[in-house]
Amino acid sequence: MSDFVLLVPVFLPMLSAAAVYLVGRRSKKARDILADILGIGEFAVCALLLAYVCAGRVFSLEIPGVCGYGLSFKLDGFRALYALIAALMWMMTTVFSREYLAHYRNRNRYYLFTLLTCGATVGVFLSNDFFTTFVFFEIMSFTSYVMVVQDEKPGAMRAGETYISVAVIGGMVMLMGLFLMESRLGTLNFDRLHEAVTAKADLKELYLPGALILFGFGAKAGMFPLHIWLPKAHPVAPAPASALLSGVLTKAGIFGVLVLTGRVFLRDEIWGNALLALGVITMLLGAVLAVFSVDLKRTLACSSMSQIGFILVGIGMQGLLGEENMLAVWGTGLHMLSHSLIKLVLFLCAGVVYMNLHKLDLNSIRGWGRDKPLLNVCFLMGALGIAGFPLWNGYVSKTLLHESIVEYIGLTGGGIYRAVEWLFLLSGGLTAAYMTKLYVAVFVEKPDKPFPQTGRYMGLDSALAIGLPALALPVLGLFPSPLMGGAARLMQDFMVPDPQEVSIRWFSLTNLRGAAISLAIGAAVYFLFIRTVLMRREDGGRKRYVDVWPQWLDLETLVYRPLLEKALPFLAALVCRVLDNLTDWAVAALNRTLLRRKPIPPRNDGDYEPGDFTPHVRQSYTVMRISGSISFCLLLFGIGLCLAMGYLIFILLTR
Amino acid sequence: MDGLFLLIPVLLPCLAAAALAHPAFQKPGRLNGLTVIAAVLELAAVAACVLFIKSELPILKLGRDLQVAFRLDGLGRIFSALVALMWLMSSLFSREYMAKEENQRRYYTFLLLSEAALMILCFAENYLTLYLGFELMTLMSAPLALHTQTEKAVKGGVKYLMYSVFGACLGLLGFFTVYTFGSSTVFTPGGVMDPGKIAGHQGFVLTAAFLTVLGFGAKAGMFPLHAWLPAAHPEAPAGASALLSGVITKAGVLSVIRVVYYQFGAGLLRGTWVQTAWLSLTLLTVFLGSMLAYKERVFKKRLAYSTVSQVSYILFGLAVMNSTAVTGAILHVAVHSVIKDALFFTAGAVILKTGKKDVTELGGIGKEMPVTMWCFTICSLGLVGIPPLGGFASKWYLAMGAVESGIPVFSWLGPVVLLLSALLTAGYLFSITIKAFLPGADFDYSTLERREPSLWITGPLLALTAICAALGILPGAITKFAGAIASALM
Repeated sequence: MSDFVLLVPVFLPMLSAAAVYLVGRRSKKARDILADILGIGEFAVCALLLAYVCAGRVFSLEIPGVCGYGLSFKLDGFRALYALIAALMWMMTTVFSREYLAHYRNRNRYYLFTLLTCGATVGVFLSNDFFTTFVFFEIMSFTSYVMVVQDEKPGAMRAGETYISVAVIGGMVMLMGLFLMESRLGTLNFDRLHEAVTAKADLKELYLPGALILFGFGAKAGMFPLHIWLPKAHPVAPAPASALLSGVLTKAGIFGVLVLTGRVFLRDEIWGNALLALGVITMLLGAVLAVFSVDLKRTLACSSMSQIGFILVGIGMQGLLGEENMLAVWGTGLHMLSHSLIKLVLFLCAGVVYMNLHKLDLNSIRGWGRDKPLLNVCFLMGALGIAGFPLWNGYVSKTLLHESIVEYIGLTGGGIYRAVEWLFLLSGGLTAAYMTKLYVAVFVEKPDKPFPQTGRYMGLDSALAIGLPALALPVLGLFPSPLMGGAARLMQDFMVPDPQEVSIRWFSLTNLRGAAISLAIGAAVYFLFIRTVLMRREDGGRKRYVDVWPQWLDLETLVYRPLLEKALPFLAALVCRVLDNLTDWAVAALNRTLLRRKPIPPRNDGDYEPGDFTPHVRQSYTVMRISGSISFCLLLFGIGLCLAMGYLIFILLTR
Repeated sequence: MDGLFLLIPVLLPCLAAAALAHPAFQKPGRLNGLTVIAAVLELAAVAACVLFIKSELPILKLGRDLQVAFRLDGLGRIFSALVALMWLMSSLFSREYMAKEENQRRYYTFLLLSEAALMILCFAENYLTLYLGFELMTLMSAPLALHTQTEKAVKGGVKYLMYSVFGACLGLLGFFTVYTFGSSTVFTPGGVMDPGKIAGHQGFVLTAAFLTVLGFGAKAGMFPLHAWLPAAHPEAPAGASALLSGVITKAGVLSVIRVVYYQFGAGLLRGTWVQTAWLSLTLLTVFLGSMLAYKERVFKKRLAYSTVSQVSYILFGLAVMNSTAVTGAILHVAVHSVIKDALFFTAGAVILKTGKKDVTELGGIGKEMPVTMWCFTICSLGLVGIPPLGGFASKWYLAMGAVESGIPVFSWLGPVVLLLSALLTAGYLFSITIKAFLPGADFDYSTLERREPSLWITGPLLALTAICAALGILPGAITKFAGAIASALM
């Protein structure tokens, strides 16, 4: 099979997007079917490619000259797996969105842009140099914007504004980093980056480009302090789009961070520490925000942020652990995988709730899921998975991450890293707490008043789209060695150049202890904090969920918007306006002083003035303006110079 | 004597302009028809010249070493092809746009004459011919800017005239300097300055070089002589403002390249205060233009400020003076011409069909004029520099050139300002797109009516958009060509 096959998963969705749009203008039914077929086709192609990769084939393709620099693609284990995950999520969400979007306007537009985003995202995962990554990353950012603002409500528009601003700024900063990286290393190709770095003894001058590129990727991943778009955009986007944003697009950001860590800053302590710090903050902040949130999708969005923090912690540990970082490598890869699948299930469950009730706040949807066993089980699978309950997939990946921290504490004797471990366990506990909060609210508690019966709450295709991935979560958790271990073995080559053998006792007592501590913390937080502080009894009635997070305490409204929307543009525009008018003012000043003309006396046609032998010829306004300006003087000056030149030429001729 | 063929592109528009005076051409349709035919023939003639003509053509000998002469070199090929293409687009566009305007004969006559003047500029073999073309172009294009004859248009047009003439005066100073201190005034890659003659007059020559750049930079809208641009461009008919912004500013760029790289020589200026000052001015203009465009609410004026900023990207690349940056600059000349033409066409189409001039009024316009606004969107993405569209490749080269140059401060400040300006560009262009296509959930869809302009407008728009995408995805042909020119200049 030719290596050009790599273009298929990237350009198949992008090119057929237009076809879907055009078909959609004729027939909505045909469009839905075509979109489903494309989703399944994309999945099949990616699955086929993964099969080839598992058989030991590595694809790589360079197309020189495109966009000036040339594109470069490669398919190895990690990329094949992630392309497959992306395709899987696209397939499931496309199937799901038929029912979910049934009452939306502008659905054609939605399909057009999801397909474009799908191709671009797969392009990011298949890219083999930062240039190619950047090209597809930017396409992805812009096309996904339209998915976020699909319903065009004021909230969505505002969130979309934040989303696209972060994306554009992130993209520009990243581009600056790429300029510097390219000029300092001479290459952006992933395969050559490591050599180029080792040839260069001094890593210090790479920190700046590295940080700039991290800014760009981190913005997409939802890394603190660029996470602001995440809790805003997810709740307002349609549920299938939220699932994609959270499950795949954030991972495209992580993809870049992985490349930086594995190829440029391999086993670099400073880099590792920086990422660890950012990761810990993101992880904890996300979890805390999620605990406070009273909106189903917002909680899930904050949870995404927190899980990205877990992944970043893993990447940081990769840098710190040096040669012995295999646990961190496996943990990072597997947690990405787990999180993608879990968020697919959870966001689609939230989608089912929204599609029936058109509400998301916990008080209004309370108890809606009580008599819906299928939805209940699916959501429970996701909740147990993400909370890190043993026998579910999240437990496996979180345990590995936890073990990597423990290992580092063993190597260095603890210190600050002991605190990191506890923060890690605490965040895990908070995860359990907020998932319990959601589960209890939607599926356990009684509703305030019974919901009207509306017959079937979801169709068969939607049920399949949620049920199949939900089924995968415990399966992955029950058989960690063959499934999770196998996946990790596929992914490891991408993250470290020289992977070592790993043997893990998945359900050893120490590992279970970590999970137990987390879950205990979670239970404590749920009963002692959420049920007491975050639920208040209202005048004799039952307890309701309240949002006690202060409104003003929001990085975006507190800092970014005032600064970037008001203060800086105002100052800059003021300075620019002054400069803009400088020349005009100089001309005006000259007109008023040195070149001031005598006022033209009022006159009537045919009147003679004393001492003047010529009647005034009425001048038109235009002529007056022309002859009255300094510019006119300049014109005469120019003519004079021309004459002078003519004279000079004449002299030359006759010399 | 195949050099004689170079006369065709210059004379053809003049003849067509003369023919327009014939009483047979009374109706707007006929006036436009002849102009379009002339523009098509012109494009063919220029294409033939670009592909086949290698020799030069002396026209008028004025003395031992002064003559008016034509020659088509690499740079001239790119610029003349671009001019001919853009003129064709604009003539097509004008058919529907100008249909209701008065004084169409004047408009088309000067449209053709200014094309002829630009051809002289592109074909110029030496400084004198360039100067001639430059002045002619100013005079021939001024009536286009004045066309509507409203007070604002007259003011703007006169401002344009005066700034250009003042700029040209400074250019004349450069001519005298080159004539005195150089070995000839023929454009020679690498410059003609004679070190023996310069010795002792270093300061004067550098000052003259700087003033010349400033003078020709006026045409390219470089601070401090940029103020004519936002005054004149918005007032002209859209077809003309597209050309003023898209092409005539590039005539300033061409003159700057000719003077700096073919007369004074990059070697003379590199590392001097002239380079530093020039770099500072271009970066200032880049930022200033974008910032003011961001704050501007009149659609066409916003685009005019955007031109101020974007043309200075090109000048920045030229000021960096290494081959990567100059390659990027030449590529950006093409990209910006194409995109700015398309954007002005969009603005024109919107004004023509709805009468809306303010960007705040454009809610939902994307639903009424989908093709037009899609072209606008794609071209604005290109102008911001979003891959894989037009502006990305050129900005990549510009910024890489700056980074590689190793000039203290500017090697990083340059890319930072370029990116900052790109950010602002996104701010002032995407806000229009977003408003046009995403009017909000409470938008009243029942008032919408289909207002798509005819193929005379959408055709050129689609063509320009396609070129914008093609230039971004496969810039190879131009970058190779421009790269060869650029490395010959260093």
